[in-house]
Amino acid sequence: MYLKRIHTSYLLTFVVVFLLLVFLGQTTYAKNAKVSFQKCLSCHPDLKEELSRKDAHEPFKGFKCSSCHNPHAAKYEYLVKDEIDKLCKGCHQREKKLLAKSHKHEPFQQGECLSCHRPHASNNKKLLKAKGQQLCFECHSKKEGSFSKKHKHNPVSKGLCLTCHRPHASDHEALAKKEQRNLCVGCHSIADSKTKSAHLGYPIEGTDCMLCHNPHGSSRKGLIREARHTPFARKRCRSCHNGLRSRNPLGLKGKGASVCAECHSEVLETFNKINSHVTKGIFCVNCHNPHASDEEALRKAKEAKICFDCHVDTKRHVNDKKSRYKHPLLEKKECTPCHRPHGSNFKLFFAGDEIKDCTGCHERHAKFTHPIGEKAIDPRSKQMITCITCHNLMGSPNQFALRFDRKKELCIQCHKGY
Amino acid sequence: MKKMSNMCRKICFFCLVVFCCLLIPVAGFSEEKVRHLTSITSGGEFGRLGVLGGLFYDEAKDRLYVTDASHNRILAFDSDFKFISEFTGGEALNWPTSLTRDSRGRFFVAQPSEGKVIVIDIAREDINPIDLSAIPSENRIYPCNLAIDSFDNLYVVDKANRRILIFDINLEFSKEIPVKNGRGLKDVRVDSSGRVYTLSTIDGSVRIYSTGGKLLSRFGKRGTEPGEFRFPVSLAVDRKGLIYVLDQHMCKVLVFNKRGEFLFDFSRLGWREGRLHYPSYIFINRSERIFIIDRQNSRISIFE
Repeated sequence: MYLKRIHTSYLLTFVVVFLLLVFLGQTTYAKNAKVSFQKCLSCHPDLKEELSRKDAHEPFKGFKCSSCHNPHAAKYEYLVKDEIDKLCKGCHQREKKLLAKSHKHEPFQQGECLSCHRPHASNNKKLLKAKGQQLCFECHSKKEGSFSKKHKHNPVSKGLCLTCHRPHASDHEALAKKEQRNLCVGCHSIADSKTKSAHLGYPIEGTDCMLCHNPHGSSRKGLIREARHTPFARKRCRSCHNGLRSRNPLGLKGKGASVCAECHSEVLETFNKINSHVTKGIFCVNCHNPHASDEEALRKAKEAKICFDCHVDTKRHVNDKKSRYKHPLLEKKECTPCHRPHGSNFKLFFAGDEIKDCTGCHERHAKFTHPIGEKAIDPRSKQMITCITCHNLMGSPNQFALRFDRKKELCIQCHKGY
Repeated sequence: MKKMSNMCRKICFFCLVVFCCLLIPVAGFSEEKVRHLTSITSGGEFGRLGVLGGLFYDEAKDRLYVTDASHNRILAFDSDFKFISEFTGGEALNWPTSLTRDSRGRFFVAQPSEGKVIVIDIAREDINPIDLSAIPSENRIYPCNLAIDSFDNLYVVDKANRRILIFDINLEFSKEIPVKNGRGLKDVRVDSSGRVYTLSTIDGSVRIYSTGGKLLSRFGKRGTEPGEFRFPVSLAVDRKGLIYVLDQHMCKVLVFNKRGEFLFDFSRLGWREGRLHYPSYIFINRSERIFIIDRQNSRISIFE
């Protein structure tokens, strides 16, 4: 009994001493952290102002500068311990997992966290550099495109971008919170009479609203996209679709691309080439919107986006950091000035002869250049030298989009004696 | 003591040499499997090669036939790849692409720009298109690549309706194999046991069907890992059943076993012989020579 009492008192003393040590240790650490933070402040006084901001990064709040910075030396700017991307994702594991999503915000994918967030403190939530809409509009210019139109979607007017979009990544296109078909019906009922009559009684359940409506803004009422297919503009749905009383009103009047060929037979002819973009079904709608669009020729999206949907490896190459130099049209996301969109009898879907295609724009180069054409033969392949013999216009790490470094490797590919 | 250390040094050096000798053949293993034999390039009697469409090696006559789409001609080469003749067929050839030949000696040539497959019967001096009008189609038939089986059945890739059309020996349409979800259907081959192999570019997949058209297996996807495709455009099957897939953007041939497991690849982007630049078609003959249309280099590269 006596022994037991002694044991209990020993145990209690041990626990009290342990807790005291832990407490003292923590206060000492906090004190030390504060002391070293004071040292940082002596040279970086602006940090003091940052401390007064509404929201602060957890390590910054706890004066733990060394969580991210190395006080003596580092490989990276501002003496940070690692690349910003790795540094942030070291703690923010939830965000790291988002990289597995199929659609990622460009800065997030590139690991440029500081494009949107401040590293120490901010007056905005989530350490954002600016309030929601202002931040988004820094890149997605408010003055351009659909944001500046007369009619605006309510969340756009209020600057509530995150009503529909996720900031980092999503499994849905345009970083939408839900699949586009289900996103709009979260707020807009499609069962009310006004919506029904606007769609002339055609059933619209399960259809993608964004095919015809711009989710941000438009100069047309109902946010209808700017350019309209003539039958759509004239409300002549039956030009292409079955009648309202039919079993399948949204069904089409013809099979495959023949629906389009009723009016655009000459366009269909342009697919009849040795290289062709024909596919099963109504292949026209692979790239064009049959109702309304904000793009030229009723394209579904910007040119390169349409092309990259199938040419995923080309997208990867073009966007690769190594592909620093590329054709300026590619920077503008344009493909069709060089490649025929429907079909071509020439290599790589070119409109015609490789050299003429280039010299059509680059007139000066047609007059003075390294010999090209029938009389200039590449000793490696024994075929005529063209512009793309030396240039890879889809992206290259070398200046002028040259295939090899012009100072070291380019010329000696053929001119062995030098 | 000094002697001992010298001895140790010699042993270490010997070990290093042995290790290197073992390592070099392992590193060059895939290169050893397939080697470049020769190339047919522009020039000489047949002039400049244009956009090359397809090719076919005729085992019976030991001849190689190649379509030059830009010049509306078929070129014939002997077994040493020396030029023999060219055939233009009057005005019958119009941007010809894929070609094949049956045991009766009839040539079949795809002319997608006209939506036709023409039959060239040299013996009868006859050129006629196959009648495609009675085949139920959603879109106008777009004949892509062709293949022939050991019973002289003709297989035609119909890109616009994502299916394989099969014609019997009398050139009557017998059946079709729909290639479900095979986006960008591009090529077809038939092996000696009648299995049908299809290749879909956008989908990045090889599908294997039974003679009856039942899907037996499927493999492949697009990506950047070893054994994944970037832009596969043509396939061939050798006598051992190995499947060769030509990747246009990778400028390589990827080789798979019957189960679709990746084994090795060969060649790479380049302009010198043995390398490829946007190749477009592959064919393997009975003696296992590999013929590749190296489209951007305007030549036919032959490997073995």
